[in-house]
Amino acid sequence: MATVVQIENLRKEFGKVCALDGVSFEIQEGEWIAIMGPSGSGKTTLINILGGLDTPTSGRTIVDGVDVGRLDEAGLTRFRAEKIGFVFQQFHLVSYLTALENVMLAQYFHSTTDEREAQQALERVGLGDRLEHLPTQLSGGEQQRVAVARALINHPKLILADEPTGNLDEANEKIVLDLLRELHTEGRTILMVTHAPSIGSLADRRIDFSHGHLVPQLAPVGSQRR
Amino acid sequence: MFWRLVFRLLRGSRARLTVAILALVSGAAVISGLLNLDFGVEYQLTQQFRTLGANIIIAPKTTESAAESTLTNSALMNEDAVMGQVQRVATANVAFAPFAYVIARVGETQVVAVGTWLDQLQNLNPSWKMNGGWISSRADAGQCLAGRNAARELHLVTGGSLQLQYLTRTSQCKISGILDSGAADDNQVFMSLDSLQTLADLPDKVSVVQLSVSGTPKLIATTASRLSAALPQFQVHPIRKVTEAEGELLGRIRLLIISMIILILALTALCVLATMAALAMERRADVGLMKALGGSITRIVSLFVAEVGLLGAAGGLLGGVLGVGLSYWMGLRVFDTAVTPQWQIFPITIILMTLVAMAGALPLRMLGEVKPAIILRGE
Repeated sequence: MATVVQIENLRKEFGKVCALDGVSFEIQEGEWIAIMGPSGSGKTTLINILGGLDTPTSGRTIVDGVDVGRLDEAGLTRFRAEKIGFVFQQFHLVSYLTALENVMLAQYFHSTTDEREAQQALERVGLGDRLEHLPTQLSGGEQQRVAVARALINHPKLILADEPTGNLDEANEKIVLDLLRELHTEGRTILMVTHAPSIGSLADRRIDFSHGHLVPQLAPVGSQRR
Repeated sequence: MFWRLVFRLLRGSRARLTVAILALVSGAAVISGLLNLDFGVEYQLTQQFRTLGANIIIAPKTTESAAESTLTNSALMNEDAVMGQVQRVATANVAFAPFAYVIARVGETQVVAVGTWLDQLQNLNPSWKMNGGWISSRADAGQCLAGRNAARELHLVTGGSLQLQYLTRTSQCKISGILDSGAADDNQVFMSLDSLQTLADLPDKVSVVQLSVSGTPKLIATTASRLSAALPQFQVHPIRKVTEAEGELLGRIRLLIISMIILILALTALCVLATMAALAMERRADVGLMKALGGSITRIVSLFVAEVGLLGAAGGLLGGVLGVGLSYWMGLRVFDTAVTPQWQIFPITIILMTLVAMAGALPLRMLGEVKPAIILRGE
């Protein structure tokens, strides 16, 4: 398997606070990684740096062969459009766009829009009958499924999911996790931040953070899978 | 997708954008109303000043006062030479006629006899009142007109006959009408140019040429300078009292209107600015998300620019229509005359409102500085 993510001695400081301190690890293509740790341990900072939303103070972040730290603003924009699919805890849909248009928005910023393809992506997440609904007309679970469809539409190399089920009830949590499991089975590379050990245990591998450091893993890769 | 997004943006911020478009429509209505009034006033003033008579005189260079000159060879122009050039230079909106003057006698009473193109008298002097009929034939030797004072002095009535004597020659004509000009013309009698030239025995000679240019002071000056170039041997001069009065009045009205337009543009821009500043704050989250999805700042800002441009154009168009109605009402109330809609104000108003909307949308520039990571954290 090829290495999709390579992080070397990554450090991020916010003033005097060190959010990430010398973090290094690799992710292979097709892996589902769960990033776990308490609040303020640096999980979201790591996701932001990997997704090109933030820049590290030092260290290297290589995603699909691209050294993210060396990209300028325009390069980061293209990187986000082409390599990354985001799923956020708060869904982050554009409130005045329909479900279909929210998916097409990602297509628009990537290259050109294809309404049929966007429709198929929504059908795949079980929202074929909700295409013209605005986010306010959708439940939390449905909104998150729109966000998953949006994250997949440009066939990204890496899916970054920050607490994707954090705002969902149990039934919707199951739907979204089933979707992620399905994507993983198809060979997608997923990096998921979560607080819940039960969700983390679904991943191939768990990376624990504490105060910006990696916590050494005792369990071998794959031993925690259900 | 671009325009789909733009229309969704417009729909998504209906409340705030309604405030902006109200400001734009109000501003555009007043501006287009003022512009329409400005164009209309120019036309009305031009027409009003046109009724005052000739506004350009061509006279021999030796003549001190053309209107007072009588037929002597040193103070005359060759009719063919001068009229040929005038006809070449004059455009459709210019009325003109040659004039020749002689002090003739009617019995024992002296009177100024004027020879001219009789059919052009009404065009040159639309404000003259006529008791009787105008003469439609240019060289009608059988008919003449008498000024009000001359008619009283000489006991002339419409339909009666007039016999003029100059030295040993006489000329007879029938009075077609008695005119009232309210000026020196009331003391004169008017006959065909040919008849007067025959009476004075000076064929093809004229004293002055009068022209009435229907247009702005600038057009009058332009026509005068073209005539000067074509007739260097003669004096061509605009009648300054008329043109300067018209120019000064127009200038003052225009200055007032332009000042008001600038003030309204500034106020409209401030109103749009305030609305857009609030809108920029509202849209930070959307812009942060768009950036996270790989939207370049150019593509994102172009959406907002198109949105604001549409808003400005729509405001300009709607306001333009309202403004035409406003100027129509103002024309009736202020000038007692309906101001005709000037269609060229629509593109002007639309362009002005689009520019104002763009200027008012400057706060949207702040969106370029949005950091997606911070926005997505909910800060």
